[in-house]
Amino acid sequence: MNLPYSRLRARPRRPLFQKYFTALFIAVVVPLLADGASEAWFGYRDQRHTLSQRLQAEARTAAGKIQAFLDDITDQLQWTVQLPWREGMEERHRFDALRLLRQVPAVIEVTLVDGAGVERLHVSRVDPDVVNSGIDRNQDPAVSGARSARIWYGPVTLYEGSEPHITVAVAGAREINGITIAVINLKLIWDVISAIHVGQSGDALVFDGSGRLVAHPDISLVLRGDGNPAATRLKLLQQAAVAGGSGITEGANAENRSVIAAMAPIAGPDWTAIVEQPAQEALMPIRAGLLRTALLLLTGTLFAAALAYFLARRMTGPIAQLENGAQEIGAGHFDHKIEIRTGDELEGLAQRFNDMAVGLAVSQERSERIARLKRFLSPQVAELLESSNQGTLLDSHRAEVVVVFCDLRGFTGFSGSASPEEVMGLLQAYYEALGAIITRCEATLTCFMGDGVMLLLNAPVPCPDPALHGVRMATEMQRSVQTLISGWRARGHTIGFGVGLAKGPATVGRIGYEGRSDYTAIGNVVNLASRICAAAEDGQILIDATVAAEVGSTCALIPLGTRPLRGFAEGIPVFAVAPQQQEWAALPAAK
Amino acid sequence: MSTEISTSRHANLMMILRRMVVAAAVVAPLHTGALSQPAQLNRIGLVSVGAPNAGVLGADLIGDFSRRGYVVDRNIVFDRRAAEGKPDRLPTLIDELAAEHVDVIITQGYTAAVAAKERAGKIPVVVTLSGDPVGTGLVASLSHPGGNITGVSEVAAELSAKRLALLKEAVPSVKTVAVLWNADDLGMTLRYKAAELEARRVGIAIVPLGVRAPDDFDTAFAEMTRTPPDAILMVTDVLTVLNRQRVIDFAAERRLPAIYEYAYLTRDGGLMSYGPDVGAIFDRAADLADRILKGANPADLPLELPTRFELAVNLKTAKKLGLTIPESILVRADDVIE
Repeated sequence: MNLPYSRLRARPRRPLFQKYFTALFIAVVVPLLADGASEAWFGYRDQRHTLSQRLQAEARTAAGKIQAFLDDITDQLQWTVQLPWREGMEERHRFDALRLLRQVPAVIEVTLVDGAGVERLHVSRVDPDVVNSGIDRNQDPAVSGARSARIWYGPVTLYEGSEPHITVAVAGAREINGITIAVINLKLIWDVISAIHVGQSGDALVFDGSGRLVAHPDISLVLRGDGNPAATRLKLLQQAAVAGGSGITEGANAENRSVIAAMAPIAGPDWTAIVEQPAQEALMPIRAGLLRTALLLLTGTLFAAALAYFLARRMTGPIAQLENGAQEIGAGHFDHKIEIRTGDELEGLAQRFNDMAVGLAVSQERSERIARLKRFLSPQVAELLESSNQGTLLDSHRAEVVVVFCDLRGFTGFSGSASPEEVMGLLQAYYEALGAIITRCEATLTCFMGDGVMLLLNAPVPCPDPALHGVRMATEMQRSVQTLISGWRARGHTIGFGVGLAKGPATVGRIGYEGRSDYTAIGNVVNLASRICAAAEDGQILIDATVAAEVGSTCALIPLGTRPLRGFAEGIPVFAVAPQQQEWAALPAAK
Repeated sequence: MSTEISTSRHANLMMILRRMVVAAAVVAPLHTGALSQPAQLNRIGLVSVGAPNAGVLGADLIGDFSRRGYVVDRNIVFDRRAAEGKPDRLPTLIDELAAEHVDVIITQGYTAAVAAKERAGKIPVVVTLSGDPVGTGLVASLSHPGGNITGVSEVAAELSAKRLALLKEAVPSVKTVAVLWNADDLGMTLRYKAAELEARRVGIAIVPLGVRAPDDFDTAFAEMTRTPPDAILMVTDVLTVLNRQRVIDFAAERRLPAIYEYAYLTRDGGLMSYGPDVGAIFDRAADLADRILKGANPADLPLELPTRFELAVNLKTAKKLGLTIPESILVRADDVIE
């Protein structure tokens, strides 16, 4: 019985806890992860789009401001080309130029060219004025440029390799008004560019068409010119931003910090305004969003694990209790109680287990009682007695009983000469043959004595016609045993079988001690039956007068007269059942 | 457990977690704010060859630092040294500042710049009003000055020619101009030479009156008394500035038109002046010093040229001299004193 249980207790291949835990965990975590991932993805896209839009707007604003700075200068230059170069107008033109210098600090020198392309005046903040130099400026690209486009922007040049300047030329509405060429100190854009802030620490930068830095909040970077690492990095950033067009670009700024940049063109001088914001700052909302989501997912996952663990435990805990209980009950501990208070089906199941244990206990007790009864009653009588709950039948009382004795003749001699296997084999066959008949006839077996058997009829269970029933049983026993004996005789063993019956009052009841009790009868009739049996010869069934009187009408008897029997003072009349009577058909089973 | 319960619990959980994250985000900056460090004390050494309380030693420069967030005695300390016209004192003054371990030295004047370059060691130097540092060999170039020196250059030499031209335009009758300059100062000598060149071009005679000490002014005045010029051009350095009132008074007394370099000399009674805006120069010097204090390498900071020039005219002085200043001068004047 221990083996299957120990096998059951072995670790299951896929424990229930694992399955429940996995299922519950997945049930919570999968929607959580899906939600988190989609939120992170869409959030990232939105933020990225917003960043792009914002930086582009900043770039356009910066470009607009630079454009406004240049437009302001060209507007002022327009004043100097409103009057024609006619005789006597020279002084007016000179005053226009002087006022321009006074008005626009960024202009460091102005050259006035008349309608014929001849330089008439050169005014500078540094050098002495030059009047009517007469230089032909027709070949000057500023002059031809202004003639064709009204406003002409020259390339950015560096004064003494450091300070950036640009030449701007403006032509009058009429050719005779001439052309004004002004040199602009671009350092003054610094006032504009340093006032532009992108986010917290982002900047605006201006590059010329060739990628040279024109304006930067750190004016030193502009003044240092080309050929230093910062300028090279900025050139790369500018190229990337221009290539990136209307999107945003990632790159390194002058300080080699990672930045996000966007560009906008400045149409007039073919410059580019670029706004840059440190990547860390620009991407902070994106990173913060992703971090937030990751944190939520992590916490959610931990919570899901805790929840799944808790629920799986709640589910499998009672199951383990049930399993343990089943093992206890299986081991015969029927008083074991499974305590489950979950209020669900599992509690019901535990209750069923407990009920089953009680039922098993009752059933086992009963089967033990039946087993005890079966020691002297046939199984069906024992069952009947047990189920009808007629416990009083077994109580000691006086009853009119038929006592049947039977034993083998010549067995003692046989057992002395035969091998133990043969002896036991013979006894086995002998008792199997008798047992079948005793059981069928519902006789009460009181005891075995070697090859002898004592049987009772009409006790403890009453029997309608015990004498006749006893004779019929005896007849059948005789026939059955004789069949066996004929086989043994053929093997040379001299063995016989005799039966004796007597009827009379006797005290019946159980004798013995706790767990080992027999049912027996005590009285003169027992001795009588034993003596009659002893008197019977092989093949004979002897009965006393009482039995003979009761079966005489049904059965052919041979009176043998009185016989002196040991223990009896007088001779006792004895009858033998006629041999032909022994041909009776098998008795039907008693009710 | 039904799916509905699961999802509603999940939603509640997400909301709680979100609130916690928001709360953490709000609380975090409060902590970083509370932990901000005490301000570092920056030491600026100021050296001028000139008078105390003028130029870089004056109030303007402190104002320039204040605008950049510095508060005196809280995060900045100024260590002032004035040579008071005695350039031989400068090496000692620079040594004193070096011993004080100042973070930056700002100099005024060419000689102060030279002394700082020679003796300041690794302390960054920001030079001002030192003429043309490239021309005088103080630095290698504007864009790459080299060493520990940066600062603001002046378009000093060329401007002498411009001044002469402006003087001639203001008083067209001028034929002879006496030039007063500190002959010991290489920067100033360059300016004189530029004036001489321009004078030759426009046909003006120059009377060179180089001075080396305050006493030399008497010799110069005597020379001008002996053969009076038509006008005076005063090249401005600490020596001439310290003696400016004598020059202005002499010009007034002798009814001589004179042109100076900086607007404050016109306000002091000089007829006119043309030169870079000194206030703007000091502002740029303060900016460069600020960036060095914030960790910039002076070798990466190019020298800057002045961007703004001031023409100042004192009409009161003109009136005393019986001069009518032409409109072509007045129209371009940034400062007209009436």
